[in-house]
Amino acid sequence: MNWKNIKLIFIKELVGTIRDKRTIIAMIIIPLIFYPLLFTGIGYFNKMGSIKSEETNSKIMIYGMEFAPQLVKHLQDSEKIEILTTKDDPSFKLHNGDIQAVLVIPSDFKYKTEQEESGKIILKYDATEAKSRIAQKRVNQIIEKYKGEIILQRLSRLDLKEEFLNPLILQEENIATAEKITGSFLAVLLPYLIIILIFAGAMHTAVDITAGEKERGTIATLLVSQISRLEIVLGKCFAIMLISFIGMVLGLLGLALAFLLGASVAGGIEGVNFGISINTIFLLFLVLFPLVGLASAVLVMVGIFARNIREASSYITPIYMLTVFLGVISISQGMELSGKMFLVPVLNSSFVLKELLMGKIYWDHILTTFIANMVIAGLALLGATRLFSKEEVLFRS
Amino acid sequence: MIQVEGLTKIFHDKKRGKILAVNNLKFNCLKGQVFGLLGPNGAGKTTTLRALATMILPTKGKITVNGYDVVKEASKVRRQIGFLSSETGLYDRFTPRETVMFFGRINGMKDKDIKKRTAEIFHNLDMENFQDVRVNKLSTGMKQKLSIARSIIHDPPVLILDEPTVGLDIITAKTVIEYVKRFRDQGKCIIYSTHIMREAEKLCDMIAIIHQGNLIVQGTLEELKKNSSSDDLEEIFFELINQGENLE
Repeated sequence: MNWKNIKLIFIKELVGTIRDKRTIIAMIIIPLIFYPLLFTGIGYFNKMGSIKSEETNSKIMIYGMEFAPQLVKHLQDSEKIEILTTKDDPSFKLHNGDIQAVLVIPSDFKYKTEQEESGKIILKYDATEAKSRIAQKRVNQIIEKYKGEIILQRLSRLDLKEEFLNPLILQEENIATAEKITGSFLAVLLPYLIIILIFAGAMHTAVDITAGEKERGTIATLLVSQISRLEIVLGKCFAIMLISFIGMVLGLLGLALAFLLGASVAGGIEGVNFGISINTIFLLFLVLFPLVGLASAVLVMVGIFARNIREASSYITPIYMLTVFLGVISISQGMELSGKMFLVPVLNSSFVLKELLMGKIYWDHILTTFIANMVIAGLALLGATRLFSKEEVLFRS
Repeated sequence: MIQVEGLTKIFHDKKRGKILAVNNLKFNCLKGQVFGLLGPNGAGKTTTLRALATMILPTKGKITVNGYDVVKEASKVRRQIGFLSSETGLYDRFTPRETVMFFGRINGMKDKDIKKRTAEIFHNLDMENFQDVRVNKLSTGMKQKLSIARSIIHDPPVLILDEPTVGLDIITAKTVIEYVKRFRDQGKCIIYSTHIMREAEKLCDMIAIIHQGNLIVQGTLEELKKNSSSDDLEEIFFELINQGENLE
């Protein structure tokens, strides 16, 4: 095995890939320009929508105003609530969106509250309408305030203090730092995203430089050269690994940028503080390297086996679906893997990544994952080299 | 330079079972000679040339190229050969200069030597005006010139050309033929497969006709004419093919 030859193939594939417009679109334009623009747009429209809803007054109708004059006064005093009187069917108006809520005060309300019983009030609103939800929130706040006043009146009649109702005060203190909170939030989503980005980044290049070479008839020109089959396979695999890794990093950057831009346009985010140590970064690489290698080796093997690009794509689709499935498992909260399950490729990486992002370092998990993925990647490379030496695979038509 | 003795190649197909692609082929090709391999589609020409180029292994028989065995010394054989077929493609996203540089390097040449030889080849093939244009922008003729340049960059003593004029227009095909003649004059051993009789008549010093994997006849054009009722290679070809079928 000659490293110089591997390097020749590696550079050839890299240059070819970089010069492919589709790569530039998929690796740079979509994640770094399209995602942020998309998220900024979504954030902007969300904000515009919510500002509009927050600024407008809530129009409500009240039935039986005379049975709770005090409550009605509170509602009338509120700047954001407009009380309408109409003879039309209020349900119809609520459906139409002409009014945002209907408050129904039964005739026995006054009597019951005075008798120290529970008076019932009905609030009708439409939970699918943002404006109606805001009206519900506003009315609710006033009702709660009014309820508090009634409770205080009742307590004073019994000569009791407010504390009578609160015999216990629980003060909760969250010791998690902002870093840890952000870490645990990212730990849920990030491993899945990383896995998807690695496979998605590797797929196009892998198909293009394996099945694509067969389809374009360039493979024969390599086969009659001084380069061995193993050198060709390794050169191609390393190129896919690098492209896939860069694709993942750019993809994550794009998503982070998109998230930050989108969130800042929508009103800003608080408490996001992501701290990560050099050690953790090293360990992340220890997990990512074999995963990227595994993805590349498997895709090279499949690409070499396929007759053409179309066939390769159809073989790769189920592999990609399986990867997505294994990645999704790690999203489910509270799920833990047993020791042997760390031998399952992709699944193991997603769980170890999750642990690392949460600041947990379990060496047995890290080593099992590293070794399992490296062994499978190695076997896939050997398989690819063997396929590459088989004339019935190379010259299938 | 090329010696083929008893070459047999059997393919295994799931549906069709065993397929005898080439049966007990025997021929020699000498230095400074164009050896024409003639036959209809499916005759076994491509299989024979792929075995010569170390791309597939013979089921039986022995092939040596410039003294090296294609099975035992495949790497040395590859150093002796330049391979070009109608199916070999080029990398679209590279320029001719880059393409030739890459193939020089993967054939173990030093950059200095590649540059010197590239300048020579590009001048001879009249490729200087498009040497820095990417392949996807080149015409068919320009691409074929580049394919030739790619296959001869390492100055191989043996050229294996599998139907190199298929799909080319008449002018480009003529250019290819001119270069094959030039390479012969330089003393290279050229094995040339085709099913175009005019080409074989113009070009080949020796002709072997194969049909359904069997060698039907081989000799110079004059020898073939002498043993036939016709003077035209196309007529001779049909006569021999028919005889071959009748024998079966």
